[in-house]
Amino acid sequence: MDIVLRALVAYVFVLFLMRVVGRRELSSMEPSDVILLVVIGDLVQNGVTQSDYSVTGIVLAAGTIGLLATLTAFVTFRWSRIRNVIEGEPVILVEDGKLIERNMKHERLTLDEVMEQARLQQGVESLHDVRWAVLETSGSISIVKKE
Amino acid sequence: MAGVPDTLTLRRHRDMKGRESWIQGRRILLALLCAVLLAGLLNVFGQRPDSSSAAAPRASLSVYAPTHLRSGLVYAARFHITARDDIKDAFLVLDPGWAEGYTVNGVAPQPVTEADRNGRIAYGFGHLPAGQSLIFFMSLQVNPTNVGRRSQNVELDDGETPILTIHRKITIFP
Repeated sequence: MDIVLRALVAYVFVLFLMRVVGRRELSSMEPSDVILLVVIGDLVQNGVTQSDYSVTGIVLAAGTIGLLATLTAFVTFRWSRIRNVIEGEPVILVEDGKLIERNMKHERLTLDEVMEQARLQQGVESLHDVRWAVLETSGSISIVKKE
Repeated sequence: MAGVPDTLTLRRHRDMKGRESWIQGRRILLALLCAVLLAGLLNVFGQRPDSSSAAAPRASLSVYAPTHLRSGLVYAARFHITARDDIKDAFLVLDPGWAEGYTVNGVAPQPVTEADRNGRIAYGFGHLPAGQSLIFFMSLQVNPTNVGRRSQNVELDDGETPILTIHRKITIFP
């Protein structure tokens, strides 16, 4: 029973942590973000399985995480308010070539990061050529360039 | 002005109207996380050892061991007996909370006798002359399923006569 409860607590806590630390850490791979994601994975594994090396333990822990992921997907699909809480909502960062400073600050994003995505996705050279830049719920920045 | 991409609205996704509570909420949750981490630094969740002691005319006893732990941790408990008077047959009598849900990795020095005393564990060390000290170590590991609060009283006896008792409890976090 314990391993199911530990997996449940770990899932809820990591979900909470990911929402609190912000979305930029989810998709970007700066050194500190790599540390966060890799270390969390290792720590969570230790806390969930502890000294249980059994196949039954794997089935229970992985099954619990899988079931919770399915349940989360169902709940977020069914109720949009809960989706906003669990997954967050997109944030507009650039509108018609103009940076929206307040939103950039809230998401701790820099112009360099936005422009990197603009170059990578659309080959855009200048911010003026960006029609929309949106921070998506996955943590990635989508770029729509001007016609 | 350029048309907004489908499913996005300027009011909610650019101006963040109706989403201010989340911005505040995230700050509160971050503060909560900081509070938990601070509590960890302040030993609320273990495993820094605490010292507890008791003295009687015939002897004194101190126990140096954590009172807050987390499941799975390995640690050592130190028991220091100082005889002020001759103790003919010194016994350390430990509550079951010292063994239940634990793995006892080892004890040093090896007691002369080891017995049950009404559900408690009695380690006998034989004669302890006045003025002498005995330091006894127990190396323990908390079993992963051992969670909760338990009594870990320690009694020093001469034979079956109690000399003194240290009352302590241990809290084990999951």
